[in-house]
Amino acid sequence: MSALRHGKYPFILTFLIPPVGIYALYMLSPYVQAIYISLTEWSGLSANQKFIGFDNYVEMWNDDQLRTALRNNLILLVVVPVLTLVLGLFFASMLNVGGRGRSQAITGVRGSSIYKVVYFFPQVLPHAIVAIMFAYVFAPSNAGGILNNILEAIGLGSLTQLWLGEPKYLIWIVVLVMTWAFVGFYVVLFSAAMQSIPRDIYEAALLDGSSRLTTFRKVTLPLVWDTVQVGWVYMAIQAMDGFAIVHIMLGVNGGVQGAGDVLGVAIYRAAFADYDFGYAAAIGVLMLALTMTIVVLFMRVLRRERVELA
Amino acid sequence: MATVTYDKASRIYPGQDNPAVDSLDLTIEDGEFLVLVGPSGCGKSTSLRMLAGLEEVDQGSIRIGERDVTHMPPKDRDIAMVFQNYALYPHMSVSDNMGFALKIAGTPKDEIRRRVADAAKLLDLEEYLDRKPKALSGGQRQRVAMGRAIVREPQVFLMDEPLSNLDAKLRVSTRTQIASLQRRLGITTVYVTHDQIEAMTMGDRVAVLKDGLLQQVDTPLGLFDKPQNVFVAGFIGSPAMNIATFDLVDGNATLGESSVPVPPAVSAAVKEEGSDTVTLGFRPEALEPVSSESEGGIPIVVDVIEELGADAFVYGQPAGPTSELQSDRMRSETVIARVEPRNVPAKGAKVNFRVRPGNEHFFSVKTGARIEA
Repeated sequence: MSALRHGKYPFILTFLIPPVGIYALYMLSPYVQAIYISLTEWSGLSANQKFIGFDNYVEMWNDDQLRTALRNNLILLVVVPVLTLVLGLFFASMLNVGGRGRSQAITGVRGSSIYKVVYFFPQVLPHAIVAIMFAYVFAPSNAGGILNNILEAIGLGSLTQLWLGEPKYLIWIVVLVMTWAFVGFYVVLFSAAMQSIPRDIYEAALLDGSSRLTTFRKVTLPLVWDTVQVGWVYMAIQAMDGFAIVHIMLGVNGGVQGAGDVLGVAIYRAAFADYDFGYAAAIGVLMLALTMTIVVLFMRVLRRERVELA
Repeated sequence: MATVTYDKASRIYPGQDNPAVDSLDLTIEDGEFLVLVGPSGCGKSTSLRMLAGLEEVDQGSIRIGERDVTHMPPKDRDIAMVFQNYALYPHMSVSDNMGFALKIAGTPKDEIRRRVADAAKLLDLEEYLDRKPKALSGGQRQRVAMGRAIVREPQVFLMDEPLSNLDAKLRVSTRTQIASLQRRLGITTVYVTHDQIEAMTMGDRVAVLKDGLLQQVDTPLGLFDKPQNVFVAGFIGSPAMNIATFDLVDGNATLGESSVPVPPAVSAAVKEEGSDTVTLGFRPEALEPVSSESEGGIPIVVDVIEELGADAFVYGQPAGPTSELQSDRMRSETVIARVEPRNVPAKGAKVNFRVRPGNEHFFSVKTGARIEA
């Protein structure tokens, strides 16, 4: 025992140093570098890097396009998680406990095993493909726009729009696409959480006269709340991004009049279109600060007593 | 208050040939405590869940009182159930757990509080009303589950092995508590257990099931004294009945050296079914030691002695020249005999037992059914 203990710390350190070192080198140091770069004026192409203090941050404060991006990010941050989680919970509960089967009192709706697979499809598609697909969905009729052509085919031709040409629709289209792309994952996540609730609790609720809605509100939701919380944080972080979908669907300028812009695209634009790496890094630091704040806030607000499933 | 009637009720699980419950015919009287007992997989829980509405009834019907509930959703059946794992809502306090059904039914808050308080008093749970289930012991959780059922004031209580998660000592005391509570409330109760001692001690009547078929329904003593077939004989009673196949020779059931006189009615019945063997059962209590010279004794080599203080049981193997034949014909591995607790034979000793006259149970070798003497 003592021989073991003697060599304990060197032993542990040999295992600890490589991963911590790699983590520090590749994960932490870029943050530090980015913060430094944000305090400089740098094209990213030359060795000519000039320290300018907080000038980039002052510039950000006066940048109207950045305000649009920030506002859009906040819309994504609030609307996408709410939509995704509500839909995810609804579908998951229908798939797992919504049905009233012949063979079991508590089961999913008919065909739920098929739906589970179908809902997961969007999750296996890369966001690039999702964005290209939806760019076609919302394209003008003569460019093969699927939505417009469907509207015309069912006699609702008056509702056709140049969807991607109307600034006020852009961010809501992004909301829709992101929700579509993410909801399947949350269906699967919440399904797993609901599967772990003992069946007899649902049966007890059934005997207590609880309707589907009451069972969902009073039994299912409180018992999967931990998972919802984790899902919410994760979804909020993903909603802060939205880069791939906006960039591919709306272009590097964030669509018509930049109305669909998000911070991720603004960073990309600053770095690779304007060659202003300092400014891009400053936006990145802003995003980092926002994300951290949101995560901490969510963790605080959503914290509840843990429930143990018997 | 209501009667419960199973009318040829069957449950066949999809993809299975044999019914889990096969045309169960059973009437439970108003206020009666009926126990469904049987080995695992016998269909007792399924029968209960059919009554609860948690399992479909594939054939036949179930009535509570005059109401046909066969295809009625569980919430309209006016029943309350105590689950094996209690199925308490983990995120609700004890009082919320107990009042959940009333709250859903839209009962006024005052009345919910009063009824929960009454039940808590009855079950000695008053000081735990604000706790969550995880902060309760197993016995307390069990009482909360009982309370949740009592608060409902249903027509029928259903209990699915509610004691199986308690330790042995608590199980015994809770057993009597549940039985006395049920007598006091007078609510018709169907209770499922695999433990025949629970069945015998709690039930007004006991229904024994095996392979989805009802074997016998009777009072505990009725089952003990007159088991209707070999299965019930072997299942009811602890230690189990000694059962073996005997040859019928000249009005005596003989097996090797041992022989037991057979009443003429039994001999006649065995002859009638064209058989020359009979299944004979005798309880450990029905054996008494006799001197080694006496006729018809069953010599036994003592393997193990269980001394329980009030009782002592001898577990042994047949001895004597025909022991091999006797062992082959026995249903169990050992012969069990009750002996005087203050006068037990030594291990390895050879003791000669005989069956006290009138304590034999005869069963048909072909059908397993009881042959009445």
